[in-house]
Amino acid sequence: MSDTPTAAPGGGTGGSIRRSLRSTPSKRRKKKNQIPMGLAVLAFIVIGIVLLAGGSPLLAFFWLTGNVFGFVLQKTRFCFTAAMRDPYLTGGTSLAKAVLVALAVTSIGFVAIKYGAHAQGLPIPGQSFVVPVSLATVAGGTMFGIGMVISGGCASGTLMRVGEGFGMQMLSLFFFVVGSFWGARDFGWWTLHFIARGKAIFLPDIFGWLGAIVVQLAVIACLWIAADKWAKHKSAAEHQ
Amino acid sequence: MAEVELDCMGEACPIPLVKAQKKIEELAVDDILIVHIDHSCAMKNLPEWAREAGHNVEIEEIDDGEWDVIIEKVK
Repeated sequence: MSDTPTAAPGGGTGGSIRRSLRSTPSKRRKKKNQIPMGLAVLAFIVIGIVLLAGGSPLLAFFWLTGNVFGFVLQKTRFCFTAAMRDPYLTGGTSLAKAVLVALAVTSIGFVAIKYGAHAQGLPIPGQSFVVPVSLATVAGGTMFGIGMVISGGCASGTLMRVGEGFGMQMLSLFFFVVGSFWGARDFGWWTLHFIARGKAIFLPDIFGWLGAIVVQLAVIACLWIAADKWAKHKSAAEHQ
Repeated sequence: MAEVELDCMGEACPIPLVKAQKKIEELAVDDILIVHIDHSCAMKNLPEWAREAGHNVEIEEIDDGEWDVIIEKVK
């Protein structure tokens, strides 16, 4: 029980909560030692890197980053769904703020990569991901948001919890795959009739490279402050 | 001092939290609510909410991937 957190701040007691014998799980199974399995998985990942690196270094890199990303996601309980949902549901914005920090960090990284290529006169990588924004983006985001709250996870969250062994979300994953497949099939039609009517905006074209990162970080900072204030506001309302 | 158990096994993220929020309102001060969960996400947001609300919280890992969140209603 090393991970038992201490009592709530302001809660007073500091000791453990006395629960009745009735509800205390008596038939507690001895937990399996997971270290051998952990080492086996680690060996599997390393062997995967070695094998893939022979054929395609890029694939080996994806294999490594995929595993690392999954590990971080699981250990931090990072959840994009909760980041969007909890501010409304519980007033907690710690995950929303975490997502904003992640966005800020990746923004700086992307600028470094893109500007690096641009400064050397090379084609800027990843420009095919600069796609039009329009009301279709808002509509799609809203639909995805409803779906992820009902199914209990976005794409990465669902994958991570399937890996943890949460059975219900295997169903989510199955229908996520079905939905993605269907979406991919009709994507041409949607692109032609809705998506292509929007305007693609690449911030450095408008504000310049420095301006773009400053504007982006400023927006993220404003959202972070708003999230912080929102949490305090909600918690103050609850304590009345 | 009553003790209420809430079975949220197999329920995805927001459901255990919403159920616990509703349940705790029915309880009196010093009552204890025990929520059984097996969703790792609820393991995070359930205690976070309860601490924020000022209750005493403990987490007990019953088995691999199964937890009891014990909430003592303080006020």
